[in-house]
Amino acid sequence: MGQPDNGQQNRTGTVRKILHFLCGMPFSFVLLAIILAACVAGSVIPQGQPASVYQEMYGERGSGLILGLQLDQVFRSAWFLTLAALLCLNLILCSVSRFGAVLRVWKKEKRYGIWGSWLTHLGLLLLIVSFAAGQFLAREEVIYGIAGSTQPLGKTGLAVTIDSFEVTLRDDYTVEQYTAGLTVADASGQTVSGAASVNHPLEAFGYDFYQDSMGWATYVDIFKDGQLIKTDLICTGEYTYPDELPALALLFNKFYPDFAEGADGAFYSRTPLPENPRCLYSIYYEGRLMAMDLTEPGAAVPVHNYVFTLRDPVEYTLIVARNDPAAPAALLSAAVLLAGLVLSFYVRPWEDKRRKENGSGLDEG
Amino acid sequence: MDPVLTKVENIAFMAALIAYLLSAALYFVYAVSKRLWASKAAYAVMLAAFVLQTVSIAARGIHAGRLPLTNQYEFASAFAWGIALCFLIFVRKYRFDVLGTFIAPVIFLIIGYASMQSREIHELMPALQSSWLGFHVSMAIVGYGAFGVAFGVALAYLVRDTFPGSLKGIPEEKTLDLIIYRAVALGFLFLTLCMITGAIWAKRAWGSYWSWDPKETWSLITWLIYAIFLHLRLRKGMTGRKAAVFAVIGFLCVIFTYVGVNTLIAGLHSYK
Repeated sequence: MGQPDNGQQNRTGTVRKILHFLCGMPFSFVLLAIILAACVAGSVIPQGQPASVYQEMYGERGSGLILGLQLDQVFRSAWFLTLAALLCLNLILCSVSRFGAVLRVWKKEKRYGIWGSWLTHLGLLLLIVSFAAGQFLAREEVIYGIAGSTQPLGKTGLAVTIDSFEVTLRDDYTVEQYTAGLTVADASGQTVSGAASVNHPLEAFGYDFYQDSMGWATYVDIFKDGQLIKTDLICTGEYTYPDELPALALLFNKFYPDFAEGADGAFYSRTPLPENPRCLYSIYYEGRLMAMDLTEPGAAVPVHNYVFTLRDPVEYTLIVARNDPAAPAALLSAAVLLAGLVLSFYVRPWEDKRRKENGSGLDEG
Repeated sequence: MDPVLTKVENIAFMAALIAYLLSAALYFVYAVSKRLWASKAAYAVMLAAFVLQTVSIAARGIHAGRLPLTNQYEFASAFAWGIALCFLIFVRKYRFDVLGTFIAPVIFLIIGYASMQSREIHELMPALQSSWLGFHVSMAIVGYGAFGVAFGVALAYLVRDTFPGSLKGIPEEKTLDLIIYRAVALGFLFLTLCMITGAIWAKRAWGSYWSWDPKETWSLITWLIYAIFLHLRLRKGMTGRKAAVFAVIGFLCVIFTYVGVNTLIAGLHSYK
């Protein structure tokens, strides 16, 4: 083994310099400052909207800039993820490089506070990694339907039956709770039944089932020349059409359980009870809006030789099933972060040192 | 509606509002005249205001049958209460009476903002019916209160630094600097707790512990600002004027996270 040549020494020196820069505090500050600015942008600029929304809000030039820099999806953009990855690298290098020094001081002084800063950084690092892992590993499936319906839960092999759905109202008609009775079955026929309400998800087969939202659905009978040719169940925002003539479609816009019209002509519902029900619908032909009107449930809506009858409006529930295997790791990381902060601030090795140096004279108790 | 509890709440609230104003005035008299009686009276009035506000909050809580921490009025009132609590603790601990000259007006402004909000009691929407509400918002109140104290001390520092000798009784800069640090450290710990309890609650209510909702994002922005402050101070020895300016910026961020985000940006936390 000979002496390393100048080239090797230079390369080692350059690598050391790069590593020193990557684990240094100036690099952390630059990263944090950019992440901070990104967070401001991500909270001020509406996220995940279609391009037309940005064009309307910010004009051609502004929207071009927003879409070009991915400011319409800041927290999912490649550059933001790169920043987060660099911050992780910075935290890893910082934690590794300081571990030896912290351990040496610990062996000498045996004070838990010495670990504070190191644990805080480790906790933050683990938290970011857990969150990132959750983004990749977490599974989410959505189903919606009325009581009595059964649906497969995506590709999980599970099937969910909505046994019941109830909206509990107070005397002033404000909502006290939304509760869905669910039965979840796996491929082997094993079942788990229970209620999912807001703040109280149902746990079954590794998934949490959340009562997410609700809306109105309606049955639609379609007649042609007086003959019933189709019965469909559609939710608000959904279309139905005669199978033989898909160019003719009815859109169920909205349901007003207790319809009323304001002085300004705006429609609203006086109460959530079906006292004066009305369905708002639109008729489309070949993609063009032909008509938009209100109808009482059960009344006929004639369109040429077809008749649509919207009837028996019923509440549907939207259930979200989630499984995030990284969530317990995130919780543990948060606990490490907190422990680090308590040790840093209240077992205070830094401050004791500084106090000795400058003698501020304050009671530190 | 319980008219007695409503009356108690309203009277105690208005009395607290007036008492905070009076305390601010007395602290100002103390700052310019260095009369000890003014300082003692200001502290006593502040303590009375704090007790009155506690009565008001308790009466509302009993009346509503829940923790009164869910709308703009309730949280603004609790925010002012949190700053008053931290102020009373810090003044007692550090014997720093003139701090009231800077903190009492802030408390008065926040409780004044609360007085302009609707005091109607509403039943809670399903998402807010959780025992995590109390933990989450209580952490925010103490955290924001501590940041409020850091802001007041930072103002004291900047006044002392910019206009030396203009106000009497302001401790030396090293002491001010250490109090800013201690208040920020306390606030940072509670802000972290607030974010963690919020994340646990969000997971329970919405299925996701972090959704980049504007309120969450601005809490993170505030957390990052104070994290940078603490790093600069502990590692780079940033003290003095720069640290004071940082504490002021941090608190402005806190205010925006509380008022600005709720009123200007729609999101999951937009409970009006």
